[in-house]
Parts: sequence; structure tokens; C-alpha cells
Amino acid sequence: MDLGTKVAEVIEASSAELMAQCYKLDQAPPLGSLVKTKGGSWETYAVVYNVETHSLEPGRRVVARGEEMGTEAEIFRANPQLAKLLSTDFRALVVGHCQGNGLYHYLPPKPAPIYSFVYVCQLEEVKAFTQSLDFLSLLADARLPISVDEVIAACLRYASRAYPDSQAFLIKAGKELAWLLSSDARRLNSVLKRLRQ
Amino acid sequence: MSLDLAQVVAQIEGMVASLKAMEGERQAKLDFALQTLHSPATEFNQLRRKIESSKTTWLVAGLRESIDLCQPVLPCPEDFIVLASDGSHIDVDRHHAAHCFLINIGIAQLWYGRNPDARFSSLPFLYFRDDEVAVSSPDGRREVIEGQLLGIKRSVEECRLLAERAGELEAGLPAVALLDGSLILWGLAGQTYLDFVIHELLVGGFLKYLDLLRGLSRNRQLAIASYISFPRSTDVVNALRLAICPHQPVDCDHYCSGKFEGRECDAVAGLLDRDLFSQLLAPGERSAIFSSGSSVVKKYYGIHKVNFFYIKLDGEIARVEIPLWVAEDKKLVELIHSAILDQCRRGFGYPVALSESHEKAVVTGADREQFWRLVEQTLAEDRMWLESSAKRQSKRTRWI
Repeated sequence: MDLGTKVAEVIEASSAELMAQCYKLDQAPPLGSLVKTKGGSWETYAVVYNVETHSLEPGRRVVARGEEMGTEAEIFRANPQLAKLLSTDFRALVVGHCQGNGLYHYLPPKPAPIYSFVYVCQLEEVKAFTQSLDFLSLLADARLPISVDEVIAACLRYASRAYPDSQAFLIKAGKELAWLLSSDARRLNSVLKRLRQ
Repeated sequence: MSLDLAQVVAQIEGMVASLKAMEGERQAKLDFALQTLHSPATEFNQLRRKIESSKTTWLVAGLRESIDLCQPVLPCPEDFIVLASDGSHIDVDRHHAAHCFLINIGIAQLWYGRNPDARFSSLPFLYFRDDEVAVSSPDGRREVIEGQLLGIKRSVEECRLLAERAGELEAGLPAVALLDGSLILWGLAGQTYLDFVIHELLVGGFLKYLDLLRGLSRNRQLAIASYISFPRSTDVVNALRLAICPHQPVDCDHYCSGKFEGRECDAVAGLLDRDLFSQLLAPGERSAIFSSGSSVVKKYYGIHKVNFFYIKLDGEIARVEIPLWVAEDKKLVELIHSAILDQCRRGFGYPVALSESHEKAVVTGADREQFWRLVEQTLAEDRMWLESSAKRQSKRTRWI
């Protein structure tokens, strides 16, 4: 994926999270990646925690079509309407915002505006945002329909790619998690295991 | 209490038993019809002359090809376009303050081959001006568009949008333009409407847009067809009745006036064309092309005179209607035959393009409610006089 390019548009937003519809099918940013969206005088940063591809119209079920086809791509070539009837959406947890020259690892004053464009942050931006790991508390405390620990681990593995010494970054993050999850050794252990690349 | 289904169950069982008892008789008629199809009585020139000289009380298919023809399908072109339009409407509601109706047209454009693509659109049109909600004659007569006439108006709009979109297609690729249902505006047949209504909606509407499509087909390979799923027509069975009839020339009123059973032709009565072709055709094959004997077609359609054939799909027999200028072009008939079969195979038995255009056109019960709410709300915001019937209020608020 070309980092920094516009990939989606916000279709649902709250103070704590946003839901975005991708412009292209199956072209969602990866789990744990950092995305941003502009709204008013600030930019909202969010971590992707769930990606979903589904029928655009409620009541129209997706059915299997490829029994007699050699490849999955052939299904789309033979049925060009499919790309217009399906949608890939993702949900992302808001972890901070940027206003003026300041970068803040807490929730912005307002949700991201509906229809605001969503960009995948470039690695330099990921590096700048993860200089402070204060946002991890927002992730650790979140109530999500999928395992929060999976999301934390995916986010840190993704962010570590922005550092020349990714191992050093992960050790720093591990220490932050040890403090955050000090009362739950089993959970800490589970996240740390998932940090292995 | 509303419908008591417990009482209906026994009646349904009675209906099924009756249908089962008739099945043996139906099969015998079908066997006889198939024998007749292959007999000398249906020899092409003889039967064609017999049909042309007949005077009947039913709609009889005219012959263009041998009645028992089974034409296998040719492969689809490598690259081609399928275009379809379908419509839905919200009828005039006399219990509402605003006299208006809405037609929503769905369009699907599908590109197949090396550069597959799809485009869909949903185009709603609100009609509310005096000259839009009625058809008027120069001498001041008016026919309000609602009910059946609105259905006809919708067919005209479906054809208009289809022709417009076909005109916007980039040149080059062969294209098939599909409508749902019949090319014959049956509602205009008979004595229901005066000439000025027929003239505006059919001659100055539907047929004008077929003219446009025909004009476009001069510069590219473009075929227009309409698709009827699970048809109930009997035009070809009626041609068989003529083949069986011992009288020459056939004249029902003269020879069989007042007789409703015991006639030779009753040997195939009650059969549908689809019963016949489901036995005659192999999967993928089309029948012979026939011409419609409808009076409205004969009187008004000219070069667009409706011809039709049946096609055997994996699950059913469908009827495909085409204008005469398409029927006379072998390449266009081949294109329609192969494209429709291909569409049905891609669409699990029904043409994908028609299915998608329907999805774009459909107006649900909830949409209707919301439409009228929006009309009322906008009227109220503009402080317009708002009046609606007590009957409507009663239906909206159900109390005990």
C-alpha cells in the first residue's frame, strides 16, 4: 500500500472511534496501523482495530461463485458488478490528535467529521506519533468486539517498522505495557508474546 | 382477527388435489401438441398461410421460422456491453394534499471481457405540474396519469433512459440493451384509452425511443430486447390450434361460434407456450422467432413490430421480445441469444443487468412512507396549506 495516500472516508464517527469505508475492495489498512483524518483545525489519529468486507445492501447475501473458476480474480472479471456491490470497511480507535504544532495522545475535542478523508500515516509520521507511548492506555482500556491485546500487539509491531532499531522500540513499548498492565500478569504476558516479529 | 390461515389450509389442500388430478390430462395434451409440432400439419409454408388467412378470437403467433426450430447458442463476443433499465413508482395518493407521482429508474451497465467494469445509477423523477400529471389533447381533453396509465408512463421512461444511456456508450463494442417485461404496452390495447393518450405515450414516447435505439444500431452493433421470466403466453399453442383445425380458412366465429368445448383445437387447450418449449428445447437453445399478432402492435409498431422467441435456461423457459428490425438482423439475434443466456448463467437464472437495475429502481414500502413524510414536511416548512384525508390518518394510526 502506498503510505500517505487517501484510502477511505469516514462514515460513522464518535469521540472514541471512527468507521471508514474504503474506496477499493479489500484495500483496507492493516490491523494495528495508524491512520489519520482531518477535521476542522485538528487531525485525528486512530489505530485500525477491525476490518470487514460485506454486501453494501442489507438483505443481499454474498454467495459463492467460483466453483468452476481457476482463480479468485476470475470471479471478479466474470462478474464486474461485484466490486460495486461489496464494501470493505474498517473501524479505528481514536488515540490522539494534532492541533497547531502540538501532538496530543488523548481524545480530540470533537469526533472526526462524517465524509472526512482517511489517510494511512507514513512511517515518519508513525515514528513521530509513537515517540510517546501514552496512547497505549487508551488502547488498553478500550472495550472492543475483538481482543484488545491483539490490537495492541499489532499496533506496536506495525509501529516498530518505523524505527531503524525496531527491537529497541519494542523493548521500550514492553516496559510501558509492564507498567500499564502491572496488575494483570497473565494479560501482560499474552501481549508480550504477540510482540515477537 | 385478520386472515385466519387455519381456515385457508384446508382450501389450499383442495387446490393442490385438484391440480394433481388435472396433471394426467395436461400431460396427454402436451404429448399431442409435441406430436403435432413434428407433423405435416405444421409444415412452414402451409401453416404460415393458414395463420395469415385465419380469423380467430385468440392471439396467434406469426411464423418467421419453422415452428419446431431449436437453435443452439453461439459463443458470446469476447468483449461486450449489457445495459438494462427497470423502473418503480410511487402512485398518486388521492388522500394526500399534493397531487404528484414519482418514477424511479434504475440503470445497470456492465462491461465484459478484457476490461470488465460496472456502473449503476438510480434516477428519481417527480411529476407534479399540470402538464406532467395528465395527458392532454389539443382540444382540451385530459387523462390523469395514475394507476395503470402510470405503469405505462413508467415503461416509456424506462425505454427513454435506456436509449439515452445507449447513446452515451463509447463506440466499438457490441451492446445489448434490455428491458424487463414486454415490449408490447398491453395497457394501451383495447378500448380503454383514447387515441391522443396512445399517441403521446406510445407513438410519441415508447416507439420514439425505440427509433432512437434503432438509429444508434446503425453505427454500432446494438440490439434491444425485453425479457419475460416465467411467461404465461399462449401465442404458439394458439398457432398449433390452427394447425389442428380442420376448417380452411380458419374462422372461429363462422365454424365454432358458441362452442366452448368439443372443438378439435381443444386437444391443446390450457397449455402454455413454455410447457411446449420446455420439452422441445435443449438447455441454451432458442426457439423459432415468431411475430406477435397483438392488435396494438399491428396498428402502431411498424418497423418495431414485436417478434419473440423462447429460450431454455437451466431452470426455466423465458420469453425474449425483439423489434422487427432486430429480428431481421441475424447477427443481432445471435448476440441477444448468447448475451441473455450468458447473463442468466452469471445471474443464477435471471439476467444480472436486469437484476441490478431492479435493485437500483426498487421503491420499498418504507421509501414510500418516507417520501410522503418528506412531502408533508416540506409543505409544512413552507407554510403551505396542508390537508389530508381522515381515511389516511385512520390507516396510519390503528386503534382499538
